[in-house]
Amino acid sequence: MDIDERPHKKRRFFAEDAVQTEPSLKSEPSLPDEIDALPESATPASGLDSTANKENVFDAETFTSIIGAEVPEDAIQSLQRAHGNNLEQAINAYFDGSWKAKVASPRKKQSPPVDKKQQRLDLKAGDGEESATSKSAGPAQKDRPNLQAMPEMRYIGALGVAGWTTRSGTGILKPGDVVKIQRERQKAPQSSSKAGRGRLPMRKTQDVIVRFTSQDGTELGRLEKESALWIGALIDQNVAQFEGHCIYAPDRIRTNETIYLQLRCFLLRPIFEAGNLMKPQDNNRQTGFFEAKETTEERDLRLRQIGLVKLFQEINLQPSTLNELTAKHKREGILQAAEVAEQLDQQDEKKRKSSQDQTNEGSSPPSEENEEGEELEQDQLDSLYKKAQSFDFNTPEAQPASTFVMDLRKYQKQALHWMLNKETREKDDHKQQSMHPLWEEYTWPNKDAEDHDLPNVEGQDCFYVNPYSGELSLEFPVQEQTCLGGILADEMGLGKTIEMLSLIHSHRSPEHEGVLNDTGMEADAVSSLARQPLSSGKVKQAPATTLVVAPMSLLAQWASEAEKASKSGTLKVLIYYGNEKGVNLQTICCGSNISSAPNVIITSYGVVLSEFNSVTGALGGNRASSGGLFGVEYWRIILDEAHMIKNRQSKTAKACYELAATHRWVLTGTPIVNRLEDLFSLVRFLRVEPWNNFSFWKTFITTPFEKGDFVRALDVVQTVLEPLVMRRTKDMKTPDGEALVPLPPKSINVEKIKLSEPEQDVYQHIFLRAKRTFNANVEAGTVMKSYTTIFAQILRLRQSCCHPILTRNKNIVAEEEDAAAAADIVAGLADDMDLGALIERFEADEGEQDASKYGAHVLKQIQDESEMECPICSEEPMEEQAVTGCWHSACKKCLLDYIEHQTSKGELPRCFNCREPISARDVFEVIKHDDDDEPDESDVLNAAIGDDDEDDLYSSTQTRTPKPKTRISLRRVNQLSSAKINTLLTQLKRLRKSEPALKSVVFSQFTSFLDLLAPALTGAGISWLRFDGSMSQKERAKVLNDFANRSKFTILLLSLRAGGVGLNLTCAKRVFMMDPWWSFAVEAQAIDRVHRMGQTEEVTVTRFIVEGSIEEKMLKVQERKKFLASSLGMMSDEEKKMQRLEDIKELLS
Amino acid sequence: MSAPLPKRIIKETERLQSEPVPGISAQPHDDNARYFDVIVEGPGGSCYEGGVFQLELFLPDDYPMCPPRIRFLTRIYHPNIDRLGRICLDVLKNNWSPALQIRTILLSIQALLGAPNPEDPLNEAVAKQWKENQPEAIKTAREWTELYAKKK
Repeated sequence: MDIDERPHKKRRFFAEDAVQTEPSLKSEPSLPDEIDALPESATPASGLDSTANKENVFDAETFTSIIGAEVPEDAIQSLQRAHGNNLEQAINAYFDGSWKAKVASPRKKQSPPVDKKQQRLDLKAGDGEESATSKSAGPAQKDRPNLQAMPEMRYIGALGVAGWTTRSGTGILKPGDVVKIQRERQKAPQSSSKAGRGRLPMRKTQDVIVRFTSQDGTELGRLEKESALWIGALIDQNVAQFEGHCIYAPDRIRTNETIYLQLRCFLLRPIFEAGNLMKPQDNNRQTGFFEAKETTEERDLRLRQIGLVKLFQEINLQPSTLNELTAKHKREGILQAAEVAEQLDQQDEKKRKSSQDQTNEGSSPPSEENEEGEELEQDQLDSLYKKAQSFDFNTPEAQPASTFVMDLRKYQKQALHWMLNKETREKDDHKQQSMHPLWEEYTWPNKDAEDHDLPNVEGQDCFYVNPYSGELSLEFPVQEQTCLGGILADEMGLGKTIEMLSLIHSHRSPEHEGVLNDTGMEADAVSSLARQPLSSGKVKQAPATTLVVAPMSLLAQWASEAEKASKSGTLKVLIYYGNEKGVNLQTICCGSNISSAPNVIITSYGVVLSEFNSVTGALGGNRASSGGLFGVEYWRIILDEAHMIKNRQSKTAKACYELAATHRWVLTGTPIVNRLEDLFSLVRFLRVEPWNNFSFWKTFITTPFEKGDFVRALDVVQTVLEPLVMRRTKDMKTPDGEALVPLPPKSINVEKIKLSEPEQDVYQHIFLRAKRTFNANVEAGTVMKSYTTIFAQILRLRQSCCHPILTRNKNIVAEEEDAAAAADIVAGLADDMDLGALIERFEADEGEQDASKYGAHVLKQIQDESEMECPICSEEPMEEQAVTGCWHSACKKCLLDYIEHQTSKGELPRCFNCREPISARDVFEVIKHDDDDEPDESDVLNAAIGDDDEDDLYSSTQTRTPKPKTRISLRRVNQLSSAKINTLLTQLKRLRKSEPALKSVVFSQFTSFLDLLAPALTGAGISWLRFDGSMSQKERAKVLNDFANRSKFTILLLSLRAGGVGLNLTCAKRVFMMDPWWSFAVEAQAIDRVHRMGQTEEVTVTRFIVEGSIEEKMLKVQERKKFLASSLGMMSDEEKKMQRLEDIKELLS
Repeated sequence: MSAPLPKRIIKETERLQSEPVPGISAQPHDDNARYFDVIVEGPGGSCYEGGVFQLELFLPDDYPMCPPRIRFLTRIYHPNIDRLGRICLDVLKNNWSPALQIRTILLSIQALLGAPNPEDPLNEAVAKQWKENQPEAIKTAREWTELYAKKK
């Protein structure tokens, strides 16, 4: 009757109830006593019919009459409460047992229905018995049999499913028949002779078929795909076994007939035992040194996860206990997440695999590896931080230990208090054993599908499931130690390092204190205690040692800060890097050496990674034998600039997870750089349960976020962050309106640059071509596809604003573009004769000048004039004295201005003095060396750094005078120069005059532009230093040191990227930004290297922007992005693309 | 309101006061430092001797790239100066150079009074008279000087 109408929820076919009762009763020979036991209920079938028509009115009488049993009063009431007037629901609930969960104490079954025989076997689930005993065990058996140990498999519940037949015939299957539920794969060898099996191997890829067969193994049909999916997974992974009971089948069966089956499910014992061994599945907590197959494992895990959750849902088994935290999130979340993840996974599985291969090569730098997760928009990030950084200014303060000699500001003392609290928290709330937050407790059913008692297993009323890892266990999962550390995310410049150092001084391990307090015999006692196992294979305690992992460039800074902050002799610092690595950390930090152990070991991420590689590689996972970083368990680990490990797939991150310590801290100004996953990696390093489980994380954060449920995802992130993070920003104000850190003011000026004519020509050429490309693509509708190409052209445009030569340099292009795009450009450039010609013209303007032309007397005269007033602007002495070809001096700018003025009027330029015809080419700048007596240090350094590989274009441009005594040389103006370089030099020279000891930082995002700036500075006699990503640690330290200690006017050339993090450049007072970046935030970060705590004077920032160029438009885009960020508009992908398109349009307008 | 006065103008003004040129004075207006009231005395031995000539001088925005604008306010009978007081002088036109200054320009003008150049006339009628009947022209010039440029 109901065949064509499939039940919506297979477990609950109320509508079929009345109809199916008859056949099912008739055809249930194995349970005759149940039929006999019906008398007490008034004719059940008719009763059902009548109530079904009775408009859903709930009255106890009707209810009991339908149930056919006397139902306890409270049960009826609770059902009534739960389902109101919906009688159907109530009956369903009663039968499937779910109502019990809603009644007060679900753990212990209270007064079972008086007469179990009344129950219909077909519809209920939740009660059951082990299959082996189900038929033999008599219903009268009141006392449940006891088993000593977990049986091979244990009944867990039953559910209804639909299947379809693959055979036809009469009497093949009748209600009540028991069928086997089998996976094709397992079945195949057994029944290879059976008909229809021939095509099996081909199907293997599909792998979702679950069959039901008769007892002799003949295939009868298959389960509907929907349920087969997860049932199959459970069978495949040996989690469960199913036994099918036919509920309904027509007498005459045709192929593709729908059959209803009741599946009784049994969990298999090995799954509980294996639980411990299968830890790698939960790869998050125990990373293990072997993670090559993560992808397959993750997939299996997901299938299992879906399987278990679906199973419990279908048999309506509710957890009897679960963690508060997890309870907040719905179970459906898991399913949803897992399913979404599956879809995603199918899409990018290939991608992932290849990226993982790379990852496992081990040599690739971590930051460049693929990352997963969507990028956060700035506005999302802002709102997130806003939530995370609600800082209470009344939080208590703590005084640092007396060995700490620096003065802490109030907010820093508050940080110390907070950190101390975090580190000592275990004592407060770690006493009672609580369940691990990821696990759920379930009670074994004590009735089987037919409501027979099931044997009781001693001491095993419950089992535990971790729906996130798919693990099952019979043991109580104890909550592991909570994280005794956190994330210190104060904004850059607030003194995270100092705060951390105060903690190092103020909270020492008991062992360490012991050694400190009683130097002498006590120390011996402690050491003898600690000396126990000397087997080198073991990780040893280093209770007096804090390990600091920082980017290489900051090692020296850490060491010096640590020194400065400590009373002398109270803190031993070891930089574990390069040559220093010779020591055996186990020897010097542990056992009897605690008293002399280094208190702070400073090392770099690179060292951690390389030692990790050798431990996992050559040493086969033996952490201790190398005597390196991994052989010791520290008192505390601090990861500085911890966004270095933001990619959880990176080897560096994995290496850091493996470092052992009691207290774990991460320092970062940006806990989330651009993806929510960035935070995960930190949380995982900190071992914060349950969030360090990626599956859990994904379920509640990544997936909702990717599905666009931003609010929910960010809410969850907030709950993660709140207890973990302390974050203050520089612009926070105390309640009295004072800034946290009173910094001297900073002013930002935009210096508009006008390109010279040849520069303008090059720019215009590139501009027009970029525009053509863009427009062509707009017309063809391929903008998004050719995004890279367009972007590359825009890049060149930006470079040409700095110096036209840059656009010819392939290296620069490669800096920002991937190789493919770069190749395109090079190819495009090769046949681009126009541009080549233009640049040649530009270069021709920088020709050589014959040195012999200068006579000594001329030079003498020029030198005499140098202190005189400029005849044009009356500046005295002249600014950047320059001479014409006829040796008349004036300021360089005046001279060039006048020449331009004349040219623009269409006149032949003539000397202002003698009216000789002159040209801009014949203007020479006078370089004086009188303020630079020693051999130029920057030259020396330049050579040391190996930076002298520039083409001849830039060298040998300087023509020294024959008489070195005069120390004057002339250099052709416009040489190797661009408008930007000229302006910079002019400004610097002016600065040098007014503040001869001033230090300035010059940022550019193009290192090759820095390559051009360097010789220009040298030419102008300005001493400079350079710091970029290609330098070794030693060189970096030397440069920073030099820069800080020089007493004369000095420039530090910095690449925007290398200078982006951590550096402290407060000794400089001026910042020059040579080119704009897409978002001002990046520039601001660079500026904050100078304008940060410790800065005592006003900082002036000059941003060079070429007038009327793409740079000006970039400023507009920056402006708009700022605006967007504040408007909190969460944009969709489509909108973002449109936005980008708009950006480009604007840039090329 | 307007851009700050360039150093050059300030310096020139100061020097005009501190090291004045005999027979020449230039006073900037209080409300416009680019606008000068100029007095040039007729050079000794010339037909303008004893005359005190008023001129106005204005320094344009692009001074010293461009020459100052200058004109006689006092009427003068001179072949290179027209009715409106405009002056025909090469350094005020094509031969201007930024190395020249107010002082040098005024000296040039003074010199021009001493050496009229009818070959490059601005005032055709005066130039014609000057060429055809120089004594008569010089006489007229003297009369004009007496009439218009006498010290009050």
